[in-house]
Amino acid sequence: MKTIFNSILSSLVLAVSGAAMAAGELNLYNWGNYTSPELIEKFEKETGIKVTITDYDSNETALAKVRAGGHGFDLAVPSHSHLPIWVSEGLIANPRVDQMPNFKNVAEEWRNPDWDPGRQYSAPWQWGSVGVMVDTSVYNGDINTFGIILDPPEELIGKINVAPEMNDVISSALLYLGGEACSGDKELLKKARDKLVEAKPKWKSMDYGVIEKFAGRDLAASLYWNGAAFRARLKNPDVRYGYPKEGYSLWADAVVLLKDAKNVEEAKTFMNFIMAPENAGLMSAFARYANSIVGSEKYMPEDMATAPEVVVPQEFIGAGKFYPTCSPEVQKIYTAIWTELQK
Amino acid sequence: MVTNSRPFSIKRMPGFSLLALACFFALYMPLAPLVFYSFNAGNNIALWEGLSLRWYVAAWENDLVQSAAIRSVVVAVIASVVATSLATMAALGTTRTRPYRGQTSIYAMVNQPLMVPEIVTAVALLILFALIKESTGYHGYAYLVSAHTAFCIPFAYLPIRARLEGMDRVLEAAAADLYATPWRTFTKVTLPLLLPGILAGAMLAFVISLDDVVITEFVKSAGQDTLPTYMLGQLRRTITPEINAISTVLLGVSVVMVAIIFFLSRKKT
Repeated sequence: MKTIFNSILSSLVLAVSGAAMAAGELNLYNWGNYTSPELIEKFEKETGIKVTITDYDSNETALAKVRAGGHGFDLAVPSHSHLPIWVSEGLIANPRVDQMPNFKNVAEEWRNPDWDPGRQYSAPWQWGSVGVMVDTSVYNGDINTFGIILDPPEELIGKINVAPEMNDVISSALLYLGGEACSGDKELLKKARDKLVEAKPKWKSMDYGVIEKFAGRDLAASLYWNGAAFRARLKNPDVRYGYPKEGYSLWADAVVLLKDAKNVEEAKTFMNFIMAPENAGLMSAFARYANSIVGSEKYMPEDMATAPEVVVPQEFIGAGKFYPTCSPEVQKIYTAIWTELQK
Repeated sequence: MVTNSRPFSIKRMPGFSLLALACFFALYMPLAPLVFYSFNAGNNIALWEGLSLRWYVAAWENDLVQSAAIRSVVVAVIASVVATSLATMAALGTTRTRPYRGQTSIYAMVNQPLMVPEIVTAVALLILFALIKESTGYHGYAYLVSAHTAFCIPFAYLPIRARLEGMDRVLEAAAADLYATPWRTFTKVTLPLLLPGILAGAMLAFVISLDDVVITEFVKSAGQDTLPTYMLGQLRRTITPEINAISTVLLGVSVVMVAIIFFLSRKKT
């Protein structure tokens, strides 16, 4: 009750005075339900900097608000696909992440991603992949292929779900057919369309929230993300996550310093802070996605540190790639295919 | 001669009850599973594992939910009070005066937030407020409160105006005949008669402000998540019945408020 009273008071005080930008504050603008409260508590305790978190629900919302300016945020966490847009539009400053003391903890393969060459702009947050989930009690053949979804084996027909994400679905089809995501090859795009239209009658649904359905064994396969596959396996031990050998896409979210940030030093302190193994471990333990920090496994729950959904097995690492947002022309074709698929 | 000539009533049209029931069913059925699973003992929103209040407790104890809920209520109270005061003045100005040029356009202007798509208002406010925020450096609650006030005005205005139009103007004329000053007529006659309309308008405005998500998402500054924007942010990851529990409470508050409005505006004077 006392906390409620206090927050009423502080809301009122804020309403009257406006959020005074005192020293030792930090405004983080992040995806909802993605920031570990323990991580923030630890940061506040160690540095004395008070953190305020504000949520967004899509890259587009975040971009729109930051573009408009006057937002009052210091840090944001865009996805790799949108990060180059933030850089090219001059929305973010260059804090030289690569020269921060804790940068030494960043794993080798994360030091020079295509979407942030030299890793000067962004501190790693979390990352994952788009692959296939399969209930191996229903089908126990090779699951490391998008064929599970696009040329499904007999056992799986009618028990397949596909995540309703245009880019992930069409890009996966292109990869399956031997192309690249966002390929401008019209011939190949047409093939991808035909493949998807042909496969669709064999699917059961195009939906989010698959974890419960795998737990209840209503679904036996899905095109989905690794974090959900991991959580589904904890509920149904027969669920496995396949990394398609023909290629699969990776995504990553990363912390960037906004150009008009008021609390630049505090923001840099935070960027450095999350690259320490014990802190990155806390971060992953909450959101259940992998981070890019060497040694952070020691600080994750046991079930996670060894999970094949989180730690990509050596033989599948090579097939995963980052793809930027498609060019407007390709985006148009994607949308046309997607519309047809929705019918 | 037809002996049994009753006035036309839609209630006696064939199939009325059936159609009404079907409509109610379509409107309210989707809410049933939401409410049902808020009492789920398990971790997920589609697999029933027994009856429990644990998610209500979890929501109650969640600091983020608490502060977002309080923020929602504070904003809604301020916005509905200001909106209702303005709406009352607007309603008086459009009904208790001699007809004047432009009266209809004023009526249209007051109700404009009902017509303009919410996303358009949201983007417009985002751009305008960004300019103000940049030039003044002020990031407080005034933006959220004024945006909410603006879109709440028509919701408060409509019931007040309806009540004013239904009121017997002879009473006001009688007060004037008895040498009451216009102010006295207003405070002793018009206002007391109008009060149920004002209360209904205020509660409607309160509920509208409490439920808003689109405009709030675009206008909020750092640390200004309201309950609906907080809930929106949760959707990217697996949702737990905690969201159902919060939704059920919000639903309950809305239903209670609307029921009160109904009883207030039903009472004829």
